[in-house]
Amino acid sequence: MTADTTTPPPPAVPPPVPDERAQVLDWVVGQAARLGSAGRAPLRRITVSTATLAVDVQWSCPPEPPAAGEEPPAAGHSAEEGDRGREGAVLVTAPMVGTFYRAREPGAPPFVQVGDLVEAGQQVGVIEAMKLMNAVQAERAGRVSEIVAEDGAPVQYEDPLLALAPCDSH
Amino acid sequence: MFTTVLIANRGEIALRVLRTCREMGVRTVVAHSTVDRDSPAVRLADESIQIGPAAPRRSYLNAAALIAAARQSGAEAIHPGYGFLSESAEFAEICQAHGITLIGPAPAVIARLGDKVSAREFAAEAGLPLLPGGDGPAAGVGEAARTAAAVGYPVVLKAAAGGGGRAMTVVHDPGDLARAYAATRREAVVLFGDARVYVEKYLDAARHVEVQILADAHGQVLHLGARDCSVQRRRQKLIEETPPPGLPAAAVERLGELSVRAAHAAGYTGAGTFEYVVDEHGACYFIEVNCRLQVEHPITEMVTGIDLVREQLLVAAGGRLSLRQEEVAAGGAAIECRLNAEDPARGFLPTPGVVEEFVPPGGPFTRVDTHAVAGTRITADYDPLLAKVSVWAPTRAEALARADRALEECTIRGQGVRTNVAFLREVLAHPLFRYAKHTTALVEQMRATPIT
Repeated sequence: MTADTTTPPPPAVPPPVPDERAQVLDWVVGQAARLGSAGRAPLRRITVSTATLAVDVQWSCPPEPPAAGEEPPAAGHSAEEGDRGREGAVLVTAPMVGTFYRAREPGAPPFVQVGDLVEAGQQVGVIEAMKLMNAVQAERAGRVSEIVAEDGAPVQYEDPLLALAPCDSH
Repeated sequence: MFTTVLIANRGEIALRVLRTCREMGVRTVVAHSTVDRDSPAVRLADESIQIGPAAPRRSYLNAAALIAAARQSGAEAIHPGYGFLSESAEFAEICQAHGITLIGPAPAVIARLGDKVSAREFAAEAGLPLLPGGDGPAAGVGEAARTAAAVGYPVVLKAAAGGGGRAMTVVHDPGDLARAYAATRREAVVLFGDARVYVEKYLDAARHVEVQILADAHGQVLHLGARDCSVQRRRQKLIEETPPPGLPAAAVERLGELSVRAAHAAGYTGAGTFEYVVDEHGACYFIEVNCRLQVEHPITEMVTGIDLVREQLLVAAGGRLSLRQEEVAAGGAAIECRLNAEDPARGFLPTPGVVEEFVPPGGPFTRVDTHAVAGTRITADYDPLLAKVSVWAPTRAEALARADRALEECTIRGQGVRTNVAFLREVLAHPLFRYAKHTTALVEQMRATPIT
């Protein structure tokens, strides 16, 4: 994103202050770069959006198979059954019985897609029980490697919903 | 009849309900917690749904989880068993709002009879004999003291929303009243979220007698006789029998008729129990109504030949009871002993652990309701009931001998697990019990003066 100084502004709107905008943008990008270099893994992508300012920093997350004899990291909820066949993955499991939805509402984009990085505490889905929408959050950070539960499917307590490739780099 | 019933309970009662459903061709779905996933009820069910972790608040007491499970499985009805949500008017309302039948009385009936104060008011209107006590919850310690003085000590302070012997304090001395009142209120708030406490006369030496009723929505109410449940520890029952020994048949019949009339007046439907205490002069006083199937229902089934769960299902589905009062024919005597994982030598403290060996009794007219098998884990999350051993015989004396024989056969062993089997046999052999001269004070008397 760059500040546009060539197009004349519409008469009713006061002209922007190019210097100030550029300064703010430089500062934001600088901060984002510092944030990006703070991770131990190679930087993958920085996205800076304005309007409601958002900075999205992504690091590469090379798959690291667990060492021989090492237990795969446990999910926030015990998920011993669901772990089978997803070695090394951390499962986000259903915190209650109900209906699993991947998006906030029909037609809305899903909370997460395969390949997305999620932070600990980030909402990754919804479980509806008794007409109440309950947020499902990832308890650990990781990259979404598989969406296990179907959108709109009934799930039981501790059913696996999605798998995360663990990411210990940040 | 329902196509599918969700069983919202665990242990032996989940199995008990499941078995009748299966006999009636009703599909069963068992809702279970994580620790019960390998239980016999889950294994035998047509479908099972894991509703939450071991803590009851997040599984068997979680209304949202149970409703979600019922909807997922297509169950039209929920059988709540006993305990947990079986007498929750709020849960009954939630079920109703979701178009699911809760097998039990209507929410308004549960609300009225489940609250001890409104149940007392209702009983007074229905003409049931009441123990002297306050007209309603005590407005404060002063009013509690005035009521206690008027009815005479000892008195019992009871939480209005209480049950299961909890938040109840017996006060023998006026000097102890203020402290007991404050403590009971605190306990009532913690356990039931309701501070209301009321005062009632306490009978030191009484028999606990209860009447089993059945009612349908077509105006038919009948009673199936009475049970004596006087053998209790910490106000929880250990041994129950029917008919109540030493209580004249005419008195049992009168209690039955009173209960039927009251149930009719309350608009009761399903299976229920009217509980009474009987003093040394034979006077009977109403204490409460249990709006559910009870733990001790097998002995009524044994003497009447009536499957109470079957009747519950028929009534809940809008049908009629399968028989009329004049068709109820109770015969012989039945005794139920509750085998608990608990240590009588340490105040009946529950003993969690793993049952490594379990050999239940068998033999003629001997029924064992249990979920225990070798490998069953007794956790501190649930009550310590391991098995109910019920026997039937033509006479009480024969039933006593049969109950003792059955208990003797029973082997339950496991690391850390203690049972009350030996203690139950002591009770069966105790002269006061054998001659039906016992009261609810029997267990305390035995502990105070053990027979050697």
